[in-house]
Amino acid sequence: MKPVDLARKLRREAAVKPAALDRGKAVLMAAIRQEVQPMRRPSIVPRLPYEDVGAALSFLERAFGFREVPAARGVRADGAIDHTMVEFGDGMIGLGAQGAHGAFSPKRAGTATQYITVHVDDIDAHHQRALASGAEIVSRLHDHLRDYRVYEALDVEGHRWRFLQWLREVPQTERR
Amino acid sequence: MSSPSDAEVIGRSLGEPEAFGLIYDRHAATLLRFLGRRAGAKVAEGLVGELFRIAFERRKTFDMSRASALPWLYGIGSNVLLKHRRGEARRLRASALMAAGLEAASGRGSAAALDARVLFSRVADVIEALPDGEREALLLFAWEELPYQGVAEALELPIGTVRSRLNRARAHLRELLKGNGKSRVRSR
Repeated sequence: MKPVDLARKLRREAAVKPAALDRGKAVLMAAIRQEVQPMRRPSIVPRLPYEDVGAALSFLERAFGFREVPAARGVRADGAIDHTMVEFGDGMIGLGAQGAHGAFSPKRAGTATQYITVHVDDIDAHHQRALASGAEIVSRLHDHLRDYRVYEALDVEGHRWRFLQWLREVPQTERR
Repeated sequence: MSSPSDAEVIGRSLGEPEAFGLIYDRHAATLLRFLGRRAGAKVAEGLVGELFRIAFERRKTFDMSRASALPWLYGIGSNVLLKHRRGEARRLRASALMAAGLEAASGRGSAAALDARVLFSRVADVIEALPDGEREALLLFAWEELPYQGVAEALELPIGTVRSRLNRARAHLRELLKGNGKSRVRSR
Protein backbone atom coordinates (compact mmCIF):
# COMPACT_ATOMS: atom_id res chain seq x y z
CA MET A 1 0.00 0.00 0.00
CA LYS A 2 1.22 3.50 -0.82
CA PRO A 3 1.67 5.89 2.10
CA VAL A 4 -0.96 8.30 0.79
CA ASP A 5 -3.43 5.44 0.42
CA LEU A 6 -2.78 4.57 4.03
CA ALA A 7 -3.77 8.10 5.05
CA ARG A 8 -6.73 7.95 2.67
CA LYS A 9 -8.14 4.96 4.58
CA LEU A 10 -8.70 7.25 7.55
CA ARG A 11 -10.88 9.59 5.52
CA ARG A 12 -14.48 9.67 6.66
CA GLU A 13 -17.44 10.68 4.62
CA ALA A 14 -19.29 13.45 6.40
CA ALA A 15 -22.99 14.08 5.89
CA VAL A 16 -24.23 17.57 5.06
CA LYS A 17 -27.39 18.80 6.75
CA PRO A 18 -29.37 21.39 4.80
CA ALA A 19 -30.19 23.20 8.08
CA ALA A 20 -26.45 23.54 8.82
CA LEU A 21 -25.92 25.06 5.37
CA ASP A 22 -28.78 27.52 5.96
CA ARG A 23 -27.34 28.62 9.30
CA GLY A 24 -23.92 29.12 7.74
CA LYS A 25 -25.43 31.20 4.97
CA ALA A 26 -27.24 33.35 7.54
CA VAL A 27 -23.86 34.13 9.15
CA LEU A 28 -22.43 35.16 5.78
CA MET A 29 -25.46 37.23 4.79
CA ALA A 30 -25.33 39.08 8.13
CA ALA A 31 -21.70 39.99 7.38
CA ILE A 32 -22.69 41.13 3.89
CA ARG A 33 -25.55 43.27 5.25
CA GLN A 34 -23.19 44.76 7.78
CA GLU A 35 -20.94 45.94 4.96
CA VAL A 36 -23.76 47.17 2.73
CA GLN A 37 -25.39 49.04 5.59
CA PRO A 38 -23.13 49.29 8.63
CA MET A 39 -24.92 49.42 11.96
CA ARG A 40 -25.60 52.99 12.96
CA ARG A 41 -24.11 54.00 16.26
CA PRO A 42 -25.86 57.07 17.61
CA SER A 43 -23.90 58.98 20.26
CA ILE A 44 -26.61 58.51 22.88
CA VAL A 45 -28.47 55.23 23.24
CA PRO A 46 -30.97 54.97 26.12
CA ARG A 47 -31.37 51.47 27.45
CA LEU A 48 -34.65 50.39 29.01
CA PRO A 49 -34.82 47.62 31.63
CA TYR A 50 -37.57 45.02 31.31
CA GLU A 51 -38.61 41.99 33.33
CA ASP A 52 -39.37 40.09 30.10
CA VAL A 53 -37.30 41.48 27.25
CA GLY A 54 -38.82 39.10 24.67
CA ALA A 55 -42.41 40.12 25.49
CA ALA A 56 -41.42 43.80 25.52
CA LEU A 57 -39.74 43.46 22.11
CA SER A 58 -42.75 41.88 20.49
CA PHE A 59 -45.07 44.51 22.00
CA LEU A 60 -42.88 47.42 20.86
CA GLU A 61 -42.74 45.99 17.34
CA ARG A 62 -46.47 45.31 17.20
CA ALA A 63 -47.84 48.40 18.94
CA PHE A 64 -45.32 51.11 18.07
CA GLY A 65 -43.76 49.85 14.84
CA PHE A 66 -40.21 49.62 16.20
CA ARG A 67 -37.85 47.23 14.43
CA GLU A 68 -35.27 45.01 16.03
CA VAL A 69 -31.72 45.76 14.89
CA PRO A 70 -30.32 42.68 13.11
CA ALA A 71 -27.62 40.85 15.07
CA ALA A 72 -28.14 42.99 18.19
CA ARG A 73 -29.83 40.23 20.12
CA GLY A 74 -28.11 38.48 23.04
CA VAL A 75 -29.69 35.24 24.22
CA ARG A 76 -29.33 33.54 27.61
CA ALA A 77 -28.58 29.84 28.09
CA ASP A 78 -32.30 29.13 28.59
CA GLY A 79 -33.10 30.70 25.21
CA ALA A 80 -34.68 33.89 26.63
CA ILE A 81 -33.60 37.23 25.15
CA ASP A 82 -31.20 38.99 27.51
CA HIS A 83 -30.81 42.20 25.54
CA THR A 84 -31.36 43.62 22.10
CA MET A 85 -31.77 46.93 20.25
CA VAL A 86 -34.69 48.43 18.38
CA GLU A 87 -34.69 51.26 15.88
CA PHE A 88 -37.29 53.68 14.62
CA GLY A 89 -36.51 56.40 12.11
CA ASP A 90 -33.01 57.57 12.97
CA GLY A 91 -33.38 56.70 16.66
CA MET A 92 -32.26 53.66 18.53
CA ILE A 93 -32.78 52.27 22.03
CA GLY A 94 -31.59 49.19 23.86
CA LEU A 95 -33.79 46.76 25.77
CA GLY A 96 -32.15 44.79 28.56
CA ALA A 97 -32.94 42.50 31.46
CA GLN A 98 -33.73 44.49 34.59
CA GLY A 99 -31.29 44.35 37.46
CA ALA A 100 -28.28 44.54 35.17
CA HIS A 101 -26.63 47.97 35.49
CA GLY A 102 -28.82 48.77 38.49
CA ALA A 103 -31.93 49.65 36.51
CA PHE A 104 -35.41 48.21 37.03
CA SER A 105 -38.63 47.99 35.09
CA PRO A 106 -41.48 50.28 36.26
CA LYS A 107 -43.41 47.03 36.69
CA ARG A 108 -41.15 46.18 39.59
CA ALA A 109 -40.02 49.65 40.68
CA GLY A 110 -43.64 50.87 40.82
CA THR A 111 -42.91 54.01 38.88
CA ALA A 112 -41.36 55.21 35.67
CA THR A 113 -38.49 57.63 36.08
CA GLN A 114 -38.38 58.97 32.54
CA TYR A 115 -40.39 59.09 29.34
CA ILE A 116 -39.23 58.98 25.74
CA THR A 117 -40.46 61.21 22.93
CA VAL A 118 -40.77 59.66 19.48
CA HIS A 119 -41.48 61.71 16.36
CA VAL A 120 -43.76 59.93 13.91
CA ASP A 121 -44.95 60.67 10.37
CA ASP A 122 -48.63 59.80 10.78
CA ILE A 123 -49.72 60.25 14.37
CA ASP A 124 -53.32 59.12 13.80
CA ALA A 125 -52.35 55.85 12.18
CA HIS A 126 -49.73 55.31 14.87
CA HIS A 127 -52.32 55.94 17.58
CA GLN A 128 -54.73 53.48 15.97
CA ARG A 129 -52.07 50.83 15.79
CA ALA A 130 -51.10 51.32 19.46
CA LEU A 131 -54.75 51.16 20.54
CA ALA A 132 -55.39 48.02 18.51
CA SER A 133 -52.36 46.37 20.10
CA GLY A 134 -53.61 47.02 23.61
CA ALA A 135 -51.29 49.86 24.61
CA GLU A 136 -52.61 51.75 27.62
CA ILE A 137 -53.24 55.33 26.50
CA VAL A 138 -52.43 57.66 29.38
CA SER A 139 -52.73 60.95 27.52
CA ARG A 140 -55.35 61.03 24.77
CA LEU A 141 -54.47 62.08 21.23
CA HIS A 142 -54.82 65.86 20.96
CA ASP A 143 -53.35 68.96 19.32
CA HIS A 144 -51.04 70.97 21.48
CA LEU A 145 -51.15 74.75 20.87
CA ARG A 146 -51.49 74.12 17.13
CA ASP A 147 -47.83 73.12 17.19
CA TYR A 148 -48.01 69.37 17.30
CA ARG A 149 -50.39 66.47 17.71
CA VAL A 150 -49.50 64.12 20.54
CA TYR A 151 -50.52 61.15 22.67
CA GLU A 152 -48.84 59.16 25.42
CA ALA A 153 -48.99 55.45 26.09
CA LEU A 154 -47.55 52.90 28.49
CA ASP A 155 -45.92 49.77 27.19
CA VAL A 156 -46.37 46.28 28.67
CA GLU A 157 -44.23 47.03 31.71
CA GLY A 158 -45.20 50.65 32.28
CA HIS A 159 -42.47 52.56 30.46
CA ARG A 160 -44.04 55.79 29.23
CA TRP A 161 -43.86 56.79 25.56
CA ARG A 162 -44.82 60.17 24.08
CA PHE A 163 -45.59 60.09 20.35
CA LEU A 164 -45.94 63.32 18.44
CA GLN A 165 -46.15 64.77 15.00
CA TRP A 166 -45.53 68.42 14.18
CA LEU A 167 -48.79 69.87 12.91
CA ARG A 168 -47.44 71.30 9.71
CA GLU A 169 -46.86 67.70 8.72
CA VAL A 170 -50.47 66.65 9.48
CA PRO A 171 -52.59 66.50 6.30
CA GLN A 172 -54.90 69.52 6.06
CA THR A 173 -58.05 67.38 6.15
CA GLU A 174 -57.17 65.97 9.56
CA ARG A 175 -56.91 69.37 11.19
CA ARG A 176 -59.72 70.98 13.04
CA MET B 1 -24.71 31.50 -21.48
CA SER B 2 -22.03 29.89 -19.35
CA SER B 3 -22.05 30.70 -15.63
CA PRO B 4 -19.42 33.18 -14.42
CA SER B 5 -16.22 31.82 -12.86
CA ASP B 6 -15.61 32.19 -9.14
CA ALA B 7 -13.07 34.91 -9.93
CA GLU B 8 -15.69 36.83 -11.90
CA VAL B 9 -18.23 36.47 -9.08
CA ILE B 10 -15.72 37.62 -6.45
CA GLY B 11 -14.70 40.50 -8.71
CA ARG B 12 -18.33 41.54 -8.97
CA SER B 13 -18.81 41.20 -5.19
CA LEU B 14 -16.26 43.98 -4.62
CA GLY B 15 -18.85 46.48 -5.81
CA GLU B 16 -21.92 44.37 -5.15
CA PRO B 17 -21.34 42.49 -1.88
CA GLU B 18 -24.51 40.38 -2.19
CA ALA B 19 -22.97 38.60 -5.19
CA PHE B 20 -20.71 36.72 -2.76
CA GLY B 21 -23.72 34.62 -1.74
CA LEU B 22 -23.19 32.66 -4.97
CA ILE B 23 -19.72 31.58 -3.78
CA TYR B 24 -21.42 30.12 -0.72
CA ASP B 25 -24.04 28.34 -2.79
CA ARG B 26 -21.34 26.81 -4.97
CA HIS B 27 -18.88 25.63 -2.33
CA ALA B 28 -20.44 25.56 1.14
CA ALA B 29 -21.45 21.87 1.00
CA THR B 30 -17.90 20.83 0.00
CA LEU B 31 -16.36 22.94 2.76
CA LEU B 32 -18.88 21.75 5.32
CA ARG B 33 -17.88 18.13 4.51
CA PHE B 34 -14.21 19.06 4.80
CA LEU B 35 -14.74 20.70 8.19
CA GLY B 36 -16.88 17.76 9.29
CA ARG B 37 -14.19 15.20 8.44
CA ARG B 38 -11.64 17.19 10.37
CA ALA B 39 -13.53 18.54 13.37
CA GLY B 40 -16.78 16.57 13.55
CA ALA B 41 -20.23 17.49 12.24
CA LYS B 42 -21.19 19.57 15.23
CA VAL B 43 -18.14 21.83 15.25
CA ALA B 44 -18.25 22.02 11.43
CA GLU B 45 -21.76 23.43 11.52
CA GLY B 46 -20.56 26.29 13.67
CA LEU B 47 -17.48 26.90 11.53
CA VAL B 48 -18.83 26.93 8.00
CA GLY B 49 -20.52 30.34 8.37
CA GLU B 50 -17.39 31.69 10.06
CA LEU B 51 -15.22 30.41 7.21
CA PHE B 52 -17.31 32.20 4.58
CA ARG B 53 -17.58 35.35 6.68
CA ILE B 54 -13.76 35.50 6.79
CA ALA B 55 -13.59 34.76 3.06
CA PHE B 56 -16.08 37.56 2.37
CA GLU B 57 -14.09 40.03 4.44
CA ARG B 58 -10.85 39.04 2.69
CA ARG B 59 -12.27 38.81 -0.80
CA LYS B 60 -10.10 41.73 -1.98
CA THR B 61 -7.05 39.50 -1.44
CA PHE B 62 -8.35 36.71 -3.69
CA ASP B 63 -6.01 36.17 -6.63
CA MET B 64 -8.25 36.89 -9.60
CA SER B 65 -6.02 34.87 -11.93
CA ARG B 66 -7.41 31.72 -10.31
CA ALA B 67 -10.67 30.59 -11.81
CA SER B 68 -11.82 28.47 -8.84
CA ALA B 69 -12.11 29.81 -5.30
CA LEU B 70 -12.13 26.31 -3.82
CA PRO B 71 -8.41 26.01 -2.89
CA TRP B 72 -8.53 29.51 -1.38
CA LEU B 73 -11.57 28.52 0.69
CA TYR B 74 -9.82 25.31 1.81
CA GLY B 75 -6.90 27.46 2.95
CA ILE B 76 -9.17 29.65 5.08
CA GLY B 77 -10.82 26.48 6.40
CA SER B 78 -7.42 25.04 7.37
CA ASN B 79 -6.68 28.15 9.41
CA VAL B 80 -10.09 28.08 11.06
CA LEU B 81 -9.45 24.42 12.00
CA LEU B 82 -6.18 25.17 13.78
CA LYS B 83 -8.20 26.31 16.77
CA HIS B 84 -9.85 22.91 16.93
CA ARG B 85 -6.82 20.65 16.90
CA ARG B 86 -7.72 18.76 20.07
CA GLY B 87 -11.01 17.46 18.73
CA GLU B 88 -9.22 16.48 15.57
CA ALA B 89 -6.84 14.08 17.33
CA ARG B 90 -9.80 12.30 18.89
CA ARG B 91 -11.53 11.98 15.53
CA LEU B 92 -8.41 10.64 13.88
CA ARG B 93 -8.18 7.87 16.44
CA ALA B 94 -11.86 7.05 15.98
CA SER B 95 -11.33 6.94 12.21
CA ALA B 96 -8.37 4.63 12.73
CA LEU B 97 -10.54 2.18 14.68
CA MET B 98 -13.14 2.26 11.96
CA ALA B 99 -10.59 1.76 9.18
CA ALA B 100 -9.13 -1.20 11.09
CA GLY B 101 -12.63 -2.64 11.44
CA LEU B 102 -13.17 -2.38 7.69
CA GLU B 103 -9.86 -4.11 6.98
CA ALA B 104 -10.72 -6.88 9.41
CA ALA B 105 -14.17 -7.30 7.86
CA SER B 106 -12.62 -7.70 4.42
CA GLY B 107 -12.26 -11.40 5.14
CA ARG B 108 -8.80 -11.80 6.56
CA GLY B 109 -7.82 -13.74 9.63
CA SER B 110 -7.94 -12.36 13.12
CA ALA B 111 -4.15 -11.96 13.15
CA ALA B 112 -4.50 -9.64 10.16
CA ALA B 113 -7.31 -7.83 11.95
CA LEU B 114 -5.06 -7.25 14.92
CA ASP B 115 -2.31 -6.04 12.60
CA ALA B 116 -4.72 -3.62 10.94
CA ARG B 117 -5.74 -2.31 14.32
CA VAL B 118 -2.18 -1.64 15.35
CA LEU B 119 -1.27 -0.27 11.92
CA PHE B 120 -4.11 2.22 11.66
CA SER B 121 -3.84 3.50 15.18
CA ARG B 122 -0.19 4.23 14.34
CA VAL B 123 -1.18 5.92 11.09
CA ALA B 124 -3.42 8.16 13.16
CA ASP B 125 -0.56 8.84 15.57
CA VAL B 126 1.81 9.71 12.73
CA ILE B 127 -0.68 12.07 11.08
CA GLU B 128 -1.43 13.64 14.44
CA ALA B 129 2.27 14.13 15.18
CA LEU B 130 3.07 15.77 11.82
CA PRO B 131 3.89 19.47 12.01
CA ASP B 132 0.79 21.56 11.18
CA GLY B 133 2.03 22.45 7.70
CA GLU B 134 2.79 18.85 6.71
CA ARG B 135 -0.44 17.47 8.13
CA GLU B 136 -2.46 20.14 6.37
CA ALA B 137 -0.77 19.44 3.04
CA LEU B 138 -1.18 15.67 3.43
CA LEU B 139 -4.87 15.81 4.31
CA LEU B 140 -5.76 18.34 1.62
CA PHE B 141 -4.02 16.06 -0.88
CA ALA B 142 -5.17 12.65 0.41
CA TRP B 143 -8.65 13.46 1.75
CA GLU B 144 -9.81 16.46 -0.24
CA GLU B 145 -8.02 15.25 -3.37
CA LEU B 146 -6.68 18.67 -4.25
CA PRO B 147 -3.93 18.58 -6.89
CA TYR B 148 -0.46 19.89 -5.89
CA GLN B 149 -1.33 23.25 -7.40
CA GLY B 150 -4.54 23.37 -5.33
CA VAL B 151 -2.70 22.55 -2.10
CA ALA B 152 -0.16 25.25 -2.97
CA GLU B 153 -2.94 27.81 -3.50
CA ALA B 154 -4.72 26.77 -0.30
CA LEU B 155 -1.63 27.03 1.87
CA GLU B 156 -0.17 29.99 -0.06
CA LEU B 157 3.08 28.16 -0.65
CA PRO B 158 5.29 27.61 -3.69
CA ILE B 159 4.48 24.27 -5.30
CA GLY B 160 8.02 23.04 -4.53
CA THR B 161 7.43 23.53 -0.81
CA VAL B 162 4.18 21.58 -1.04
CA ARG B 163 6.06 18.77 -2.79
CA SER B 164 8.71 18.59 -0.10
CA ARG B 165 6.14 18.70 2.70
CA LEU B 166 4.17 15.87 1.12
CA ASN B 167 7.38 13.90 0.64
CA ARG B 168 8.26 14.27 4.29
CA ALA B 169 4.75 13.21 5.32
CA ARG B 170 5.00 10.21 2.98
CA ALA B 171 8.34 9.24 4.45
CA HIS B 172 6.87 9.19 7.95
CA LEU B 173 4.04 6.95 6.81
CA ARG B 174 6.34 4.72 4.77
CA GLU B 175 8.39 3.92 7.84
CA LEU B 176 5.28 2.35 9.30
CA LEU B 177 4.77 0.15 6.28
CA LYS B 178 8.36 -1.05 6.17
CA GLY B 179 8.03 -2.45 9.67
CA ASN B 180 4.75 -4.09 8.63
CA GLY B 181 3.04 -1.94 11.22
CA LYS B 182 5.03 -3.42 14.05
CA SER B 183 7.99 -1.08 14.21
CA ARG B 184 7.81 1.96 16.40
CA VAL B 185 7.72 5.17 14.47
CA ARG B 186 10.34 7.61 15.45
CA SER B 187 8.50 10.43 17.06
CA ARG B 188 9.46 13.92 16.09
